Amino acid sequence: MANFLIILFIMSLIYVAKVEMVKSYFSLMAVQGIILFGLAYVELKENEIVQLLFILVETLIFKAIFVPIFLSRITKHKIHRHHSGPIKGYYSVLFSTAIIVISFLCGYMLHDELGADADLQAKYFTAAISSILVGLFIAINNRDLVTHLISYLVIENGIFLLSLALGSSMPMFVNAAILLDIFTSVLIMGIFFNKMKDYFQNTDSSQLSQLKD
Amino acid sequence: MLYSFFGLTAILSLTAYFVRSRNINHGITLAYVGLMGGLGYYLTQHVGKPLNDFFYCDTLGLIFYFILLLVTLVSSIHYVKFVTFRDIKSDVESLHNAGTIFFTGAIVGVLLTSHFGILWAFMEATTLGASILIYHNRTRESLEATWKYLFICSIGIALAFAGVLFLGLAGQQVSNIDFSFSTIRSVSTELNPVWLKACFLLIVTGFSVKLGLVPLFNVDIDAKDASPSQVGASLSSVLMNAGFIAIYRFYEAFSHTSILPWMNKLLMITGILSLFFSAVYILKVKNVKRMFAYSSMEHAALVMIAFSCGGIGYFAAILHLIMHSLVKASLFFQVSQMHRIYDSKLDEKIGSYLRVNPLGGIVLLLGFLSIIAMPPSGMLISELMMFQSLIANNYWWIAILVLLMVLLIIYGLAIKMLGIVFLKKSSASINMRGVTNFESVIQLVLIIIVFYIGLFRPEIIVQSINSAIESLPS
Repeated sequence: MANFLIILFIMSLIYVAKVEMVKSYFSLMAVQGIILFGLAYVELKENEIVQLLFILVETLIFKAIFVPIFLSRITKHKIHRHHSGPIKGYYSVLFSTAIIVISFLCGYMLHDELGADADLQAKYFTAAISSILVGLFIAINNRDLVTHLISYLVIENGIFLLSLALGSSMPMFVNAAILLDIFTSVLIMGIFFNKMKDYFQNTDSSQLSQLKD
Repeated sequence: MLYSFFGLTAILSLTAYFVRSRNINHGITLAYVGLMGGLGYYLTQHVGKPLNDFFYCDTLGLIFYFILLLVTLVSSIHYVKFVTFRDIKSDVESLHNAGTIFFTGAIVGVLLTSHFGILWAFMEATTLGASILIYHNRTRESLEATWKYLFICSIGIALAFAGVLFLGLAGQQVSNIDFSFSTIRSVSTELNPVWLKACFLLIVTGFSVKLGLVPLFNVDIDAKDASPSQVGASLSSVLMNAGFIAIYRFYEAFSHTSILPWMNKLLMITGILSLFFSAVYILKVKNVKRMFAYSSMEHAALVMIAFSCGGIGYFAAILHLIMHSLVKASLFFQVSQMHRIYDSKLDEKIGSYLRVNPLGGIVLLLGFLSIIAMPPSGMLISELMMFQSLIANNYWWIAILVLLMVLLIIYGLAIKMLGIVFLKKSSASINMRGVTNFESVIQLVLIIIVFYIGLFRPEIIVQSINSAIESLPS
C-alpha cells in the first residue's frame, strides 16, 4: 500500500511541474495532502492514538483541505494561468522526471548508509528528495507568486515524507514543527500575497525589481 | 524563570500591538528592555548551568544576550526619534513595537536553547518577527523586500529543518537519543558521518540567510535596504549573531567527529565566496544602506573564514562578531540621521557630512575606520588573528586571496565614505529638522566600546570568549 501511495505521490510531482492553470495547483495540493494522509496512516498506525490523530488531522484537515481552500480564496477570479518560466510544457516533465531518477539513484547509493530499517527509509528518502528538488525547480522556473507558494508547499510535503523515514522515533516533534512552519508561512505569505496583488496589479515576480544595486 | 520571560514577551508583544497611545507603546518596549535586563542578571548567576529541560546558559549565549540587550535598548531609543520625525501612523508604530518584542524574544530563545528542534523553531520565529519589521515603511520597496525575505527565509528554514531530520536519521542507529546539544555531543562519534555531513550542509545553507552569507544573501541585503535603519541595525548585528550561534551549536556538537575537516572546508568555501560577492558589490553599489549591508556580509565571511581555521581562529571569530555588532549597529543608526538630513540613501547626493552634522560625521568616520579595521579599532586585532590562524594552518594562498579581496572592499568603502564625509556635492539638499546630537552620542559610545576592547582587551571579554570555545578541538 505504501509503495502504491509513494508512486502516486511521485506521479503527482511530475504533474505539478507541468501544470499551467493555477486552479489545478490547488487540486494537486489537495491530492498530495490525501496521499500523505494515507502514508502517515499506513506507517504510523502503531503509534499512540493522540500522536496518530494529530498527524492525521494535520495531513487531512490542514494539507488536504485548509491550505488549498485558503490559496484558492486569496487568488479567486484573478489569476487563471501562471507566468511560466524558461522551461515550459513537456520539457518540465522531462526535467522533473530527470530529478526523480537522480533522487532514485541517490537513494540507492545511500541505501547502505541508512539505519536498520533501510528499505523503508530508502523509499521515503527518495520520494522526499524528489519532492524537495522538484519544489526548488518550480520555484526557480516560474515567475508567478502563486507558483512560489505552491513550490514552498511541495518542499514542505517532501520534508514531511522525510520525517516518515524516521518512523516513529520523533513524529510529534516533527509534525508539530511542520505544522507550525506551514501554518505561519502560508498564512503570512498569503496575507502579503494579497497586498502584493493589490499593489502590483498582477502576480508576476518580474515586477519585483525595485531593489537593486 | 525563562518560561515566565517568554510568557511576558508574548503578553507585552500583544499589548504593544493593541495599545495605540504612542507614549505607552514606547513605554512597553522600554519595559521589555528592563525585563531583559532582569533576565540578564538571572543569567549571570546561572552561567554554565541548565535553566530547565530545554534551555541553558553558556558563555557564548550570555555574550550575545548582552549585545542583544544593548542593541535593543539603543534601537528603541532611536525609534522614538524616528517616528516623531517621520510622523508614522499609530497602528504601524504599534505593530513595529510588537514585532520588535517578538523578534527579540525569538532571538533570546535561539541564544539560550539547548535543543536542536527548539533552536530551529525559534529561528523560524525570527523570520516572522523580522518580516513585520521589514514591512514597516509600507512602500513598494518594503513590500518587495518583505515578500522576498519571507519566501527565501521560509525555504532556507525548511532546508535547515531537513538538516535536523538528517540528524534524526543519523541518530536512529543509537538508542535513547534526543535532540539536546549534550546528548548529540556525547554520541556524535557513533553517528553516521554521511548523515552528519548532510545535516551540517543543510544547516549552513538554511541559516546563511540569517548571517547574510552565500548562497541566500540577496534577500538579507534587500531587507536591510528597504527597512528603517534601526531594523537594518538589528539584522546586521543581533540576527547575524543568532545565525552564527545556530551554526556554531551544530559545529560544536559534531566537532569531535571525523567530519571536522569537512565542516571547516565548507565554512571556508562559504566564507571565501561570500567575501568575493561582497567585494564585487561594494565596488559598484551606490546606496549607503546596501553598502553597509554588503560590509556586514564581508564581516560575516571573515568570521566564517577565521572560524574554519580553528585554534586562535575561534577566538578571532567571536571577538570579531562582538565588535562588528556594535559598530555596524551604530553605523546603521547614523544612516537614519543622514537620511533625515539629505532625504536620500545615494552616496552621490550626500556630501560634506562632517561640516553639516559634525558629531554625526565623526561617528561615520570612526565607524568607517572600525569596519576597515584601522587602528585603534578593535577589529584590527581580530582580523590580524584571523590572518595569523590562516598562516598557522599553511593557508598562504587563501590568506593572500582574502587580503586582496579585503583591500578591494576597503578601496570601495573608502571612495564612498570619504566622499560622504568630506566632499561637497552639488546635488545634495540639506534639511536639519529633527537632528540632535543625542543620537550621535549614543552611537559614539558603541564605537568607543569597540575601541576600548581593541586597545585594552578587557579580561572579562577574553575569559568569556575562551570559556565559550573551550569545548572546541584545539
